[in-house]
Amino acid sequence: MKKILIIDDAATVRMYHRNILTEAGYHVEEAINGLEGLEKVLQQSFDLFLVDVNMPKLDGYGFLRELRQLDVPQSPAIVISTEATESDRQRAYVAGANMYMVKPIQPDQLLAPIALLLGI
Amino acid sequence: MTLDSISEEDFHKFREFFYRKTGIQFEPSKRYFVDKRLLERMEATGNHLFRSYFTMLRFQASGEELQILTNLMTVNETYFFREEYQFKCLVSSILPKLVENRRDQGPLRIWVLPSSSGEEPYSIAIYLLERWAAINHYDVEIIASDIDTQILAQARRGLYSNRSVAQLPKPYLDKYFTQTPEGHQICEDLRGAVEFTRVNLSDPADTRPYRNFDVVFCRNLLIYFDDLSRKAAAETFYDSLKPGGYICLGHSESMSRISSLYKIVKFPEAIVYQKPSEPQK
Amino acid sequence: MALIKRTPTTGRTETHERKQDRDCAGLQARLDDPSSEARRWAARDLVNCPDSSGALVNRLRMEMDPSVREVIFTTLTHLGDSTAVAGLVEFMRSEDVSLRNEAIEAMKQLPDAVAPIMRDLLTDESSDMRIFAVNILESLRHPDVELWLREVIERDPHINVCATAVDLLGEVGSHDALRSLEQLKARFAGQAYIKFAADLAIKRIQED
Repeated sequence: MKKILIIDDAATVRMYHRNILTEAGYHVEEAINGLEGLEKVLQQSFDLFLVDVNMPKLDGYGFLRELRQLDVPQSPAIVISTEATESDRQRAYVAGANMYMVKPIQPDQLLAPIALLLGI
Repeated sequence: MTLDSISEEDFHKFREFFYRKTGIQFEPSKRYFVDKRLLERMEATGNHLFRSYFTMLRFQASGEELQILTNLMTVNETYFFREEYQFKCLVSSILPKLVENRRDQGPLRIWVLPSSSGEEPYSIAIYLLERWAAINHYDVEIIASDIDTQILAQARRGLYSNRSVAQLPKPYLDKYFTQTPEGHQICEDLRGAVEFTRVNLSDPADTRPYRNFDVVFCRNLLIYFDDLSRKAAAETFYDSLKPGGYICLGHSESMSRISSLYKIVKFPEAIVYQKPSEPQK
Repeated sequence: MALIKRTPTTGRTETHERKQDRDCAGLQARLDDPSSEARRWAARDLVNCPDSSGALVNRLRMEMDPSVREVIFTTLTHLGDSTAVAGLVEFMRSEDVSLRNEAIEAMKQLPDAVAPIMRDLLTDESSDMRIFAVNILESLRHPDVELWLREVIERDPHINVCATAVDLLGEVGSHDALRSLEQLKARFAGQAYIKFAADLAIKRIQED
């Protein structure tokens, strides 16, 4: 079973994405900010990351930059943001994201790209 | 006054709120434990509905009730070799890493807060003597601090109950303690090995002299602090550490909710936090 | 035995404490010291200087060292006066993501100072600012929180501002919020997240 890490400081958003993903057959873990995300990454391996941008302590871009330097499986990452500008998109890719999506996300909009990135 | 019982939904709401505030998470199996304490506080504050107690908890400007509740929810006991896996981490991973590239001739310095009645710093001393192969090659200085002068006096005295020493392997108990009518008395050598000092962690004037430590142990103290004090404490520890120094928190605590200054380091025995060796960009 | 005992003061390397000028003017000047350690200590000690918010905000505008930034934010939060808050609001607009987020975290700790300006923040031109303002409400201990949240979901045109407000309503909302939540669902019909969050909030409120 593929394992996905959801990193977002909003509990309801995590729950929403968790429901969609578990129903689709994925195993889900959560972290409330980028630092907690890194701690989880150091303890378990993940197949995909769903990363919010605005979080306290360590934001999504910071998490990705750190992740891409760690000696852990470099799984694909989708950045989920409230901002829709091109410069934000670029910033995400430079930090190490594979994909960039704007909230709120409809269930089918989430599942198709994930399946694509996981090669399913 | 008859108290409302705690519903499933209430427990869920409270659990999420408490987790967000303190980072402490309750498994469903802890229902009884949590309910009991919530009901206790509801009664003490005159709230017979959970809803009104919860509102008070959220909106009380002083945060006093949350603090009282947090104290109740956390288990306060201290004993020798508590959370032993971190001592193992110290001798198996942290100290070897520290001495690897060390050019400094001075002693390795360890700061322990809170000292409480001394079980933790004395445990570290015993562990170093018994389980660190390289102890004969290095001097180690252990300083243990607490805000409570009475508990410091107790720590310096070094007299312990059966309960306190229950986790110690018998050979260590025999080697480092003497049985007396008042309890287990720790030996003079160990009493002489730990410096106990009074410090208020939240007072910069108190903490200013505490610098150049290689390792800080601050386990199960920060959970009693509010968010801002916790952050300030993490920043104080940052300045108390040498570059490359390590800090260990309690097993249910995480720096990820407190401060972004430290590097997360995973050793086989534990996750610990490190002050970067070079200034960060 | 290799365990030794010395007094704590023997561990100091102190080059920065030669002159013990703890006076506020001296400390403010040390905010520009080339050493980040000196700047951190100055920022920390300024917690005892009530008029130093301006100097701290100024320093924060150009400070690149994250460890110094963090301590400045802690001190500004402790001081929590209107100058500090005005500075924090300025940083909420910053392009620098971590500066923004630290400012939001600081604001969450200052209910009394933030409450007077909360309405302005909630009606700011920028939808991002309005989202951040709702984020601040999450930890704000203030009796008007539910009222503000209801106003947001009734009037704010931006879906993400409303989305942020909905979760919090589930926690602090009373039965008065139910109608607004239903209306929100109707306004954003077809949006799965809004339906999910609103239904969750409704369920939680109704179970009380």
